Amino acid sequence: MNAKRGVWLARGLLLLAVAAVLAPVLYQIGLSLKPASQIFSAPLSPFSWPATLENYRVVLQKLPFGRYLFNTLAFALGVTLGQIVLAVLAAYAFSTYRFRGQGFLFGWVLVSLMIPFVVTYLPNYLLLARLKLLNTLVGLILPMLAGGYGIFLMRQHFRSFPRSILEAAQVDGANSWQILWKVLVPANLAAISALAVYVFINTWNQFVWPLLVANQPQVYVLTVAVQRFAGGEGVNNWGAMMAAATLATLPTLLLYLTMQKSILETFTEGAVKG
Amino acid sequence: MAPATRSKPARPRGQPLSGLAPYLYLTPALLALGVFVYYPLLNTVYISFHEWNLVSAKRSWVGLENYRNLLMSPDFRGILLQSGLYVLLALVGNFLLPVGLALLTLQVGEREGEVYQSLLFAPTVVAVSVGSLIWLWFYLPAGGVFNSLMAQLGLPPQPWLSSSATALPAVSLVAAWKYLGFHYLIALAGLRAIPREYLEAARVDGASGLSLLRWVVLPLFGPSALFLFLSTVIQSLEYAFIPIEVLTQGGPFGSTSNLMYAVWQEAFKFFRAGLASAQAVTMIALFAGFILWQFRLLERRVAYER
Repeated sequence: MNAKRGVWLARGLLLLAVAAVLAPVLYQIGLSLKPASQIFSAPLSPFSWPATLENYRVVLQKLPFGRYLFNTLAFALGVTLGQIVLAVLAAYAFSTYRFRGQGFLFGWVLVSLMIPFVVTYLPNYLLLARLKLLNTLVGLILPMLAGGYGIFLMRQHFRSFPRSILEAAQVDGANSWQILWKVLVPANLAAISALAVYVFINTWNQFVWPLLVANQPQVYVLTVAVQRFAGGEGVNNWGAMMAAATLATLPTLLLYLTMQKSILETFTEGAVKG
Repeated sequence: MAPATRSKPARPRGQPLSGLAPYLYLTPALLALGVFVYYPLLNTVYISFHEWNLVSAKRSWVGLENYRNLLMSPDFRGILLQSGLYVLLALVGNFLLPVGLALLTLQVGEREGEVYQSLLFAPTVVAVSVGSLIWLWFYLPAGGVFNSLMAQLGLPPQPWLSSSATALPAVSLVAAWKYLGFHYLIALAGLRAIPREYLEAARVDGASGLSLLRWVVLPLFGPSALFLFLSTVIQSLEYAFIPIEVLTQGGPFGSTSNLMYAVWQEAFKFFRAGLASAQAVTMIALFAGFILWQFRLLERRVAYER
């Protein structure tokens, strides 16, 4: 009897936590669908009937969303592709070779995970300014390619790949480059694409770095554009602000809904299996 | 520590040393880390010994002046104190709370647990900057959700973000909301990694409820809990960074700023590059102990697999 009550208590508290965590998301979506006249009339209820798409119309009319979407996609895809290639190459070296300085170099990869971004932003900003790369996509992408997490994660996967298969490929005359791309990478495609989704979401959601180096409207990414709108044209227009926020959130939320399992795994791996 | 006391990493499966190939494979990644992480790190230390406004061609060497000014400044002491508060609040919201929820999840079925897990995790995929906007609405002095709730309870409205008494916890709550699900996921995975046989054996020996928790679950959960604890401490200031930028910009009267946000403001709002860099270096120094501890944990696990 006591155990059963414990289960219900646990369930109740967990449901309470779920409600609290999801409330802001629901309010964001709800507010975006409220007509302007209703926004302040019943602040406690997130939804009102009838709902309207007027706020979305206003946002799409006022903001060149296509442009921002393109910038954000280019930024996120560029960083994802770059990080994956660098991580795969480096992880290959760390996992299948033995060389002088191996532990030392890997140590620096690990430490890079713990260095707060503000420590590097000022010098990186100055570097981009000197290279005339401010307010360009290339400048936005380049510094983000330094990602230790991918190296760390891919190394784990490559290590657990049976060595005998690699050796068999070598006996068959494949060189190390071929072994990597024709054997190791195809065999780890699931892990690589999971990492890609992880990096993509993370990059999509970046705010501070783009705010710093891409502050011209033609290179805005969505996070920056939404913030500028919230503090400018859309100030006090809560419905429109939330419509812009919802539009910016939609892609990553959809990715999460469709690829939940692999996303959760990638987020866990580094911390637990690490 | 003498180098000889550290055991050399064992050769994986007795392989001989390789030639040039691994270095070639490493070059792009190490180049990126070198150019965009470690060179900037050194550069920050270098800039911290200068007085420089970011735009002028002239940087003047001032030695430790920036550090001296920081230590003397009452504002900086305030920022240190507030940073400590952020760390403490993060430990409540992003360590104790998710660990508690993860422990509760062990009470319900695994399937049911997965549902909570995927729902609680959802804010993790929302951009913090975008997700913080709705909180501006929640905290509105007139017509916001919190003050409407207060009114329903017959309590006076509060100036959540414009009073220095409530602004820091209010900002902290947003950070807690955003990262709760992520830390819950990690805590739960750590708990689920405890071999079932141990729990069964303890049950057979008559352990149940709290004694099972105290003597079996928590000791086995210790290492992953420590990892999560250190992650929370190391990340706490960063977790609050964007909520601060969106909700208060460090105000009112600097009361919601923390070390990390202060670096940003000094550098890019007040253009005091030297002072900003000195703050950044001080921050790293203050967290160095935790960072090294975390590094040791990671390194040990990596060595373990060999």
